[in-house]
Amino acid sequence: MAEGTGRGERLSIWFFVGMLTLVYGLVLAPYGAWEWIGNHEAPTVLNNLHPTFWWGSLMLIFGLFYTIKFRPGKV
Amino acid sequence: MQSAAALLFTTQLTHLAPIDVLILVLYFAIVIFIGFYVKGATNTSEEFFLAGREMSAWIAGLSFVSANLGSLELMGWAGAAYQYGILATHWYWIGAIPAMLFLGIVMMPFYYISKTHSVPGYLQLRFGEGARGLAAASFAFMTILMSGVNMYAMALVMKVILGWNISFSIWVGAITVAIYVMLGGLRSAIINEVLQFVLIWAGAALIPILGLVEAGGWTNLKAQIAANTGSTEFTHMWSTLGHFRDNPMGVHWTGIVFGLGFVVSFGYWTTDFLVVQRVLSANNLRAAKMAPVIGAAFKMAVPFIVIVPGLLALAVLKNPDGSVLHLVGENAVNAAHPYSYNEVLPLMLIRYCGPGLLGLGITALVAGFMSGMAGNVSAFSTVWTYDIYGAFLNKKASDKHYVFMGRLSTVLGMLVSILTAYLVAHAASIMDYVQALFSFFIAPLFGTVVLGMLWKRATKAGGFWGLAAGTTSSIGMWLYTTYGPASALSRIALSADAKPMAETLYRALWSWLICVGVTIVVSYCTTPIPEAQLAGLVYGATPIPDDGSRGLFQKPIFWAIIVITVFFILNLMFF
Repeated sequence: MAEGTGRGERLSIWFFVGMLTLVYGLVLAPYGAWEWIGNHEAPTVLNNLHPTFWWGSLMLIFGLFYTIKFRPGKV
Repeated sequence: MQSAAALLFTTQLTHLAPIDVLILVLYFAIVIFIGFYVKGATNTSEEFFLAGREMSAWIAGLSFVSANLGSLELMGWAGAAYQYGILATHWYWIGAIPAMLFLGIVMMPFYYISKTHSVPGYLQLRFGEGARGLAAASFAFMTILMSGVNMYAMALVMKVILGWNISFSIWVGAITVAIYVMLGGLRSAIINEVLQFVLIWAGAALIPILGLVEAGGWTNLKAQIAANTGSTEFTHMWSTLGHFRDNPMGVHWTGIVFGLGFVVSFGYWTTDFLVVQRVLSANNLRAAKMAPVIGAAFKMAVPFIVIVPGLLALAVLKNPDGSVLHLVGENAVNAAHPYSYNEVLPLMLIRYCGPGLLGLGITALVAGFMSGMAGNVSAFSTVWTYDIYGAFLNKKASDKHYVFMGRLSTVLGMLVSILTAYLVAHAASIMDYVQALFSFFIAPLFGTVVLGMLWKRATKAGGFWGLAAGTTSSIGMWLYTTYGPASALSRIALSADAKPMAETLYRALWSWLICVGVTIVVSYCTTPIPEAQLAGLVYGATPIPDDGSRGLFQKPIFWAIIVITVFFILNLMFF
């Protein structure tokens, strides 16, 4: 059953969580890579650690895991 | 929240890049989509007001803790951490964890098996229509005002950080929330609260992580704070509470333990319908008991994203010339000190987060504000429909009519909130009064509910007059300390060195004691309720049904013991 969205619905609440974080990861990780590779880092403290790329990648992995695990139709 | 008004005097902190706008727009799109998606599963009153009572323990638990994790809460307590140091953590630990566990293990069975729709609904079953009417009217009134305050605060923060127009923020936020709550009711609100919980961590957790890297770890952070402030009291939770004058908050440990840890905390977490409603949506008794335990475990982690940034600001924020940047109180913001305490979180966000991550952080703040509004409006529409409209105005309407009334009251409630937001925009002091109003009811209500659940001898008249006396005395003490002589504070808080924070805690304690005392006296003077009528409502008159736990790891009490053990260890670590 799709958890949290109502009896008979296909999309679970955790699918929404996964989708949102996955989409954000897909936006942030490439942007962070572009900043890193092209030396376009914003002048923030510790930008040498490339937080946008790493944080975006983490969200991408988290989102991917939840989206697949709670994909519609999976029992 | 109170110093949000001060933000008016500062200039815009930053602006959004196109990637930040994209992240924000994606959030709004998914929120609206969820509203339309769950509308199909929101047809009966049970589905609209209690999400069909089909939420798992994890969803109800995350929603339970998230409903309280609004942006005002985040920004306000980050500012408090800068101002008072690690003492602010008490509001997350002793001021929440024991009460949440008590709700789950002791009180939830009664709320759940009585099949009540609301906290005022429980009071009706236990103490009759008088207590219900008093609790419902005060809750509905306060909740809708709080929603307006929340709305205005969001608009103000967006104006300060991003330079957005106040009316634009108010209307965009209000219309979005109204759409998804009107369509999906509590179910929509809960889904968005779970999303918000994830978003808040995604948007805010980088600040303490990068901050601790910059400071060189916790030990170095403590040393830098001591060097910058000239005091070590900012990083101790208990060792400075021996006397009112020994800590920056001006409180005593008795106020923290009994006022905050017992009365204020238990009052809020066990009787405020906004949070209890989330747990009532659980799909079985075990889930209803587990939800607050899960919520408590996550609540314990919240200081990492709220308190640590405030402490980090004491160490790492510098002026361009390398001197320590001092944030000041709301009334002291000027050209030399352009930032107030409440700007700690945005300042730290801008310090570490460039385009993209900044958008994520702003989205987390917006999500927090919208969830706060949704929580208030969904709780309001439930109490209005069940405990005021359905109880006193139209008792025999069809279920379909009550769902219609729920949707209508959501929209009307939102319009009243918008009106309140504009009212607050013209008189910022109204925010302080609304917060004070809330504090009048919470402590006495806890006295009434806990006696109702645990003491069979409590009568209907006892419950009503106890609640009325507790609330009246709380209002009286507030008037006395606000408009009375300077000595009033020291009388209420028991020390000449007490500060306003201590007044709130001791006022709650006294009003609770008065409520309990009056309830006991009046109950003994009136005819007891036959025990048969108390079945399902009171401890001792109710066989608690098996919650279905199989094995140790499924038992809520086992996890509650784990959580309380970690709670004690954490308090000792930061003693």
